[in-house]
Amino acid sequence: MNGFTHLFAIAFQALKRNRVQTTLAMLGVTVGVCALVTSMALAKGAQEAIREQLLAAGANMIVVTAGNYQIQRAEGVSSPADHGSIESPSVIPFIAQNSHSQLGRADLIVSSAPRFIQAHFEDDPMAIHDHPTASDRLGDSMAGLGAAATLTLEDAETIRSTISGVQFVASGVHENARITVVSDETKQWFTRLHGTESELPVIRRGWTFPYGEFFTPQQVLNKEQVMVLGRVVADRLFGQGINPLGQEVLLWNQPFEVVGVVGSRSWASQPVAGDDQFDAVYVPVSTVHSLLNLSKLNTITVTTKSAGETTNIAQVIVNLLRQRHGISDQMPDDFIVKSQAQELLGDGLSPDLARIVAGNLATMDTLTLEQLSKSLQRANNTMLILLAGVAGVSLLVGGIGVMNLLLLSVTERTREVGLRMALGARGSDIALQFITEAVLLSLLGGLLGTVIAVFATMSLEGIFQWSTEISLASIVIAIIVAALLGVAASVYPARRAAELEPISALQHE
Amino acid sequence: MSVISLQDVKKIYELGDNSVHALSGVSLDIEAGEFVTITGASGSGKSTMMHILGCLDRPTAGRYLLNGKDVSNLPKEELAAIRNKQIGFVFQGFNLLPRTTAAENVEVPLLYSRPPMTTSERKSRALEALESLGLSDRAEHHPSQLSGGQQQRVAIARALVNKPSLILADEPTGNLDSRTSIEVMRLLQDLRERSGITIILITHEAEIAAYGTRIISVKDGLIVSDTPNTPVTAALNLEGEPAAGAALA
Repeated sequence: MNGFTHLFAIAFQALKRNRVQTTLAMLGVTVGVCALVTSMALAKGAQEAIREQLLAAGANMIVVTAGNYQIQRAEGVSSPADHGSIESPSVIPFIAQNSHSQLGRADLIVSSAPRFIQAHFEDDPMAIHDHPTASDRLGDSMAGLGAAATLTLEDAETIRSTISGVQFVASGVHENARITVVSDETKQWFTRLHGTESELPVIRRGWTFPYGEFFTPQQVLNKEQVMVLGRVVADRLFGQGINPLGQEVLLWNQPFEVVGVVGSRSWASQPVAGDDQFDAVYVPVSTVHSLLNLSKLNTITVTTKSAGETTNIAQVIVNLLRQRHGISDQMPDDFIVKSQAQELLGDGLSPDLARIVAGNLATMDTLTLEQLSKSLQRANNTMLILLAGVAGVSLLVGGIGVMNLLLLSVTERTREVGLRMALGARGSDIALQFITEAVLLSLLGGLLGTVIAVFATMSLEGIFQWSTEISLASIVIAIIVAALLGVAASVYPARRAAELEPISALQHE
Repeated sequence: MSVISLQDVKKIYELGDNSVHALSGVSLDIEAGEFVTITGASGSGKSTMMHILGCLDRPTAGRYLLNGKDVSNLPKEELAAIRNKQIGFVFQGFNLLPRTTAAENVEVPLLYSRPPMTTSERKSRALEALESLGLSDRAEHHPSQLSGGQQQRVAIARALVNKPSLILADEPTGNLDSRTSIEVMRLLQDLRERSGITIILITHEAEIAAYGTRIISVKDGLIVSDTPNTPVTAALNLEGEPAAGAALA
């Protein structure tokens, strides 16, 4: 150990003697290592971004929507989204059906007449605050998408508890609603209202909470009147950069406490007015049910543990719900299960990814998400190889710089080498000294490069909104690469020094 | 047992088609405690002799016994260890490392000791050696901050730090003025008297050679004379710099 400290001390002294050359050689290594770390950070960031985007946009997400508007088109056109559950669309009798035994209506109402049932949108919840309970409105399974009352909390619960491979389940009720600030009633905003569960933030990846947090399972259980505002809503109601936590807002003339504001962490989906995620408010589904006297759900959102499983699990959900809803083989679904890309586009996917997805949209049913992930991964790998190439060339140039400095140093210090040999240094001692010098130089350069890379990636992230991620592993790799570079660059000069003859070295001028 | 025993040592350099006989068969025994001065003109072979005696070079023919051990054909690494342990070198040009303190210069041979020495042991031994030469207060000075005499004393401290049995001094006074030269010679004489160390000094100056107890003249690669000598005692009447003898006392 003492040997090492003195080696480093000698090396440090030697490096100090040629400050300018040392600094320049070190900068070569710095650039190389900086390129290496930055490229690793970008590669990792890109990978994370792709993953994040796929997941954020629902790569592993399945949305079950109440009602089945596609039945109406099913007569002529084969539905792309029915997952093969309709064997022969042309023979489907259009039946307003009620199969919700769990809601107490086991009897089947067969309506022979209307081919199209009037859509029954819930335009203004205020107007139907006292409208009949969901069970009274059963039968409009062919009503507009999401407005039909065919899904229930029990459906969600069954999916949650019986299907393996399911990660999270959040049931949802979606309305349009006017939100008013209690302290200033001129401040109003008409927006989307999502009644949902506490799992939603983990399903919607890429969410961030500038203020507060999402409501808790406890708050859902207690049907508390708490609300999480989308970023756009918070800005509209309270002004940008104002912390609205603890403020009271009115929904359906009921006071709600603001407990959180949700924004986007992703560079690809920034909150804009009119979008479904951030120009929206979130309240516990239980609270909505309680206040509106409802028990239906518009959607059940499911995430799968693995994106590759999504298609299979979607099919399992279809089968499960058909069974639960008592739908016979000849009947169409009274719900729509979507597992794929249509959802992506609406959710603010980054333009290039959206293009990829849109390009694949036609074949999306056969293209599994696994394949999509793989093709994105391939694109990412190409990028990575390119960046690694740049880093490799920089490192090579840096290494040549170090070798050059060392050769200069060996020549310049031939007398010193001779003296040390006369005083008992062996060839290996001399070689080790030069190698130590190179490693020290490279490590210093490498550390500096890493520090610069950290700042560089931070500013890339800040200025261009690129996703980057510097992992501990990449720093460790960078340091090891720098050290190895030092060793590699010093082998030849060190050998030259070690092979000097003490006498001629001593007499060297 | 002789400290040094050269037995018909030859050194021949092959320069293209010519071969140069730097040493043409030298036999020599040096006993412990001798202060041998080797004189000769340049090109006489005294430097080659010095290199062989210092294990910096190997003889082409003949045997060299150092402390009874044949070192004529040892590999480089073992010669390095012998130089480190048994021989202290003092050079004409001092050969101190620039921008390195006196203490660190003295430490250099200890860096290559086997088994390795601890940092604190190295430091204390270096300071000890400097102190014995009256240089404790210069330990942290760089060579450029020292006078020629002081630099040579640092070099002598470095030669002594590993407690060798032999000191090889190659023109140690060559770069010094006559007053400082006398001082250095006094120092070497004192060392020998005090510790019984063997000293071999190479010089081309007869005056300097006269400080030894035995004078060997070399010419054309051969010993031409080898005579005992009553050494001149280096007397100092110096003001300013403290005499080395005083420091040792």
